Amino acid sequence: METLSLLAGGFALAFTAQNLMLALIGCFIGTIVGALPGLGPSNGVAILIPIAFSLGLGPIPSLILLCSVYYGALYGSRISAILLNIPGDDAAMMTCLDGHPMAQKGMPGQALTLSAIASFVGAFIATWGLVFLAPQLVKIALLFGPAEYFVLYVMAFATLGGIMSNNQGKALFAVAVGLAIAMVGSDSQTGSQRFTFGQIYLFDGVSFLVAVVGLFALSEVFYFLEKHHSGTRGDAKQMKIGKLMPKWSTIKSCIPTMGRTTVIGFICGVLPGSGATLGSFLSYSLEKATVDRDGKSFGTGDPRGVVAPEVGNNAAAGGSLVPMLSLGIPGSGTTAILLALLLQLNITPGPLLFSKNPDIVWSLIASLFIANVMLLVMNVPLVGIFTRVLLVPTRIMMPIVAMISVVGVYSLSGSTVDVMTMVGFGLLGWLFRKLDVPIVPIILGILLGNEMEVNLRRAMTISDGEWSILVGSPLAIILWAIAITGFLLPVILGRRVKKRMAAELNETNAASDT
Amino acid sequence: MNLTRIGAFAIAASVAGVTTASAEFKAESPQCIAPSNPGGGWDFICRTTAKYLFDLGVIEDSMQVTNMSGGGGGVAFAHVTQERNEDNNLIVAASMSTSARIAQGIYEGAEQDDVHFLATFGAEYGAIAVNADSKYQTLNEMMDDILADPKSVGIAGGSSVGSFDHIKPMLLAREAGLADVTQMKYVSYSGGGEAMTGLLSGSVEALSGDFSEMLGFLESGDIRILAIMGPERLKNFPDIPTAKEQGYDVIGANWRGLYMPAGASDEAKAFWSNAIQTMVADPGFQGTLEAAAMAPFNNFGDDMYNFVAGSIEDVTKLSKEIGIIE
Amino acid sequence: MSDRIFGGVGLALAIFYIWAASTIKLTFMVDLVGPRTFPYIIGAGLALTSVYMMIRPDDEPDWPSAGGVMEILAATVVMLLYGRFLPEVGFIVSTALATAYLTWRLGTLPQWSVVVGASTSVGIYIVFHLILGLSLAKGPLGF
Repeated sequence: METLSLLAGGFALAFTAQNLMLALIGCFIGTIVGALPGLGPSNGVAILIPIAFSLGLGPIPSLILLCSVYYGALYGSRISAILLNIPGDDAAMMTCLDGHPMAQKGMPGQALTLSAIASFVGAFIATWGLVFLAPQLVKIALLFGPAEYFVLYVMAFATLGGIMSNNQGKALFAVAVGLAIAMVGSDSQTGSQRFTFGQIYLFDGVSFLVAVVGLFALSEVFYFLEKHHSGTRGDAKQMKIGKLMPKWSTIKSCIPTMGRTTVIGFICGVLPGSGATLGSFLSYSLEKATVDRDGKSFGTGDPRGVVAPEVGNNAAAGGSLVPMLSLGIPGSGTTAILLALLLQLNITPGPLLFSKNPDIVWSLIASLFIANVMLLVMNVPLVGIFTRVLLVPTRIMMPIVAMISVVGVYSLSGSTVDVMTMVGFGLLGWLFRKLDVPIVPIILGILLGNEMEVNLRRAMTISDGEWSILVGSPLAIILWAIAITGFLLPVILGRRVKKRMAAELNETNAASDT
Repeated sequence: MNLTRIGAFAIAASVAGVTTASAEFKAESPQCIAPSNPGGGWDFICRTTAKYLFDLGVIEDSMQVTNMSGGGGGVAFAHVTQERNEDNNLIVAASMSTSARIAQGIYEGAEQDDVHFLATFGAEYGAIAVNADSKYQTLNEMMDDILADPKSVGIAGGSSVGSFDHIKPMLLAREAGLADVTQMKYVSYSGGGEAMTGLLSGSVEALSGDFSEMLGFLESGDIRILAIMGPERLKNFPDIPTAKEQGYDVIGANWRGLYMPAGASDEAKAFWSNAIQTMVADPGFQGTLEAAAMAPFNNFGDDMYNFVAGSIEDVTKLSKEIGIIE
Repeated sequence: MSDRIFGGVGLALAIFYIWAASTIKLTFMVDLVGPRTFPYIIGAGLALTSVYMMIRPDDEPDWPSAGGVMEILAATVVMLLYGRFLPEVGFIVSTALATAYLTWRLGTLPQWSVVVGASTSVGIYIVFHLILGLSLAKGPLGF
């Protein structure tokens, strides 16, 4: 009860006309920044920090503005994923998988509305989790030592093969490519240069934003160029917009999915170093393993496949505030910037933050609630406007989005080498798509590779070179079990499905013969 | 060969001509690079400097703080020397770790003169912490275990192998009589915050870091500090014993300061040196230092140059003695 | 066949990667595992999956005609030139040209492509530079 009165106090501080106005502006800018590929939530927040300071905003209004941008960007990133098959940021990659097929089936409005509801549910429950469970959750984060982190990443990659491609070998190949790229740059443990070949540009490693824009946005353009050349005009097929609201029965069928993926996403968020991408990824893959064992409907526009990653992604965002506030450790790029902001405001997150600066913490949480509700209210009516994007012919829309993505990355780094690297990734992405090598594992490899390696090395240092540390705790063993099941299940089921399909094919052939 | 040298000379002369022409230097959209993730000591330097320089009116535009982590500061160092060498509006956070890594050759091919060391404005002492429920009550108990088996105590630190966080426990162990201190178990984390989770989660037995990074967790009762590596006990924390009084005569002082590109104009170098002296003179700034458990420690101009040179020399000598460089 | 060739290229890359990993400089003191081990593991993974693709190739993908390949290569060249000359020509002009080219090649009439290119470029400039305050390439004309 004390918690609730503290929260009410937070709301009292947050509920002023100026703050609500800031929340509205933040939600709007966030949605736009999120929808633009190349600019993600962390960039949105980073861009607005100097603006907040130059406006002379106090700590609470600044936090409200930036949290609105943060949550807004998470909402926004799904828009381009669903409408254009280009994720607005890395966490929205998984939303492409079913969101875009759903849009192509003539249900873009429904996909957008459903994902807005999913985002709301994920973020809303996660914020309550933050209110009541923050101290206990820190203990979960502390259950994970280096060995457990390593196994967690192994699990992410092991469950990936089954969902990404018909050919697990190719999915694993893509993982290896991603990890190989992640190794480029200065080694964080010893400072040695790895695979940089003396190029200063590579010392920091390859930015995943460059890879995302190249592999998704530019390769999409190349793909279209090729198709256009072979005779089909870019605008030959006008997309249908269809109904904007999903049927109640559709929403109802997604409720169990929402429940499960909120938990997965939230836990992923609480673990520093994994964050929203792992949250949306594991939500999707584990949900697929739970409700779509035959592998028939996920990937073809299943509403649950749209809901799962969006819930996971937003729940993880809420969860990632737990280690940031209570340990002072940023769990993701965005929370790193929010942490920087708090430090700039002379607030040091850490174990004493909740008792030392309760007004800040609780008004931050209140502002998360405000932003979340505002985004839902704003996003559902906006679906109608967003879907109009589809009325612009692809031959015009595609280059515009691609150029915005490229410029987005360039404007942050100021490096023209980045632009050329993106073009390289674009070609690579086109080639991989042609050969049915999935792209998502590459991005995941780039994002998680370094953490995976570093945790392995820490674990081995701690154990004096005993590999047994990797199965040294019950938690690690559970994670291994999930990883192995997740890897083998699709292989076994895949064979069975193939057999069954072959049998059905034979039957129909036999039937047509007679 | 001769031709290129003349050419280089001509360019240098023309650059010098341009710089002397612009008499009064004024900072334009200045930037401070913190070569680490937010939350660590380098980040603190940039954010504090940015805040006070702007609040005191030394700079008109607000100072942008950029986090550029990697290679224990090596990424930022290479970035500055190779891409921003003539930037007049750039300052970079530096500390003992910076000079230690230059000394050990961790920043590939780097030397002191590759950048211009501006100033130090504070120093703090290293500390060794354990979990609140650890069996170690004193530093001696821990050292006894390390002497018996150097691998029995895992020590986390917020930076790479061979860094100052790593050297500090090695110096203590050497003082305790351990022959081969490189046998000790040091676990490198990316930043003091992450190293702290390593300690709290029980992955390691002890943490080597700077006192300020431990302050919050000490106050909340999560950790116990076995020793502070200063000459005497801290004024505000008289309960924490020094390593010296427990029989290990080791001082681990970590200075905090700034460097800037070596190719910046003399006016710019003078401007930033003056700016930091103005900041140091401000009582509010001194209050911030004290709140972060740091002692004033000021070096400017030639003093600064000699101080860094001395610091590099010390670490080189030390590292050779311990046997971590040849 | 494509998969077999691709697997072969992958294998060659894997071997190069492992070689490059073996040249990583070890500093005076490394952690137990060191900076080379994990790259070796990745290189081995790359090699294994490449061999797998060579042994069990999928069906032949639907490759574009020579014209389609030319189209993609031309677009690549345009984008590379864009990256190369961006700082020299300035943001607005080069972005307008690049966008117009892509729009034209995707099947828009040339005059409309120019309009789309110019308005996209100016639009991005307004949003990114004037509103969000991000720095874009300046060029000789100042924009």
